[in-house]
Amino acid sequence: MAILVRLDERLHERRMTLTELAARIDITVANLSILKTGKAKAIRFSTLEAICIALACQPGDLLEFRREAG
Amino acid sequence: MTLTSSQALAAARPVIQGLTALNLIYALGLCALLGSSFFIAGWPARPLGFDMVHAHPLLGQGLRAIVVVGIAGAAIVHTILRRLLAIVGTVKVGDPFILDNARRLEAIAWRVLALEGLRLIVAAIAALVWEAGRIAPFSFAPWLAVLLLFVLAGVFAHGARLREDLEGTV
Repeated sequence: MAILVRLDERLHERRMTLTELAARIDITVANLSILKTGKAKAIRFSTLEAICIALACQPGDLLEFRREAG
Repeated sequence: MTLTSSQALAAARPVIQGLTALNLIYALGLCALLGSSFFIAGWPARPLGFDMVHAHPLLGQGLRAIVVVGIAGAAIVHTILRRLLAIVGTVKVGDPFILDNARRLEAIAWRVLALEGLRLIVAAIAALVWEAGRIAPFSFAPWLAVLLLFVLAGVFAHGARLREDLEGTV
């Protein structure tokens, strides 16, 4: 997918685990893992907002568009 | 789900299986009738009690053609019942809102439409060799059922796609 999720980098910067983030924003670890590994088809604004609050970042810090070759 | 619909679903599997067996018996009966019609002396006047003096000269062949259409109809009904059983099976498994069921419903709709086509053929043959109006060529309910099935298939397909989208949403 051309949209890359930079959740791993942001978690690393904040010294936070996926489980901790999941507990803070009240989302299952399984769903957050789907998002982290780029397997999600879509992300709700409410989820994005909750992650941005928890990690004190902007949506642009979490998502990146990269044009796919071909 | 209402009590009536859940009861209907619970009863659906044995009812469909029973109907499949009855349809098979019906088809075998028609095959036997068709085969024996070539060996029975005085077909169709003697066994069916037709007055051959005033009957159409092609009455025998016409009735055989109707039997052949009947066998084709039974084959179509069999494929409908198999698909219906598969749909009921997905409810039992717990995941009926899938694209496969939408495709099954659409296939059933086409087959019910084909059955109505066969009814027109039977009515035309009967009108030609037997008596006009003896078999009604048109019935409102099956055409309404065809429309309903196509609409349901469309709704199912749309719902299944929406659910697929939702499943990938975090």
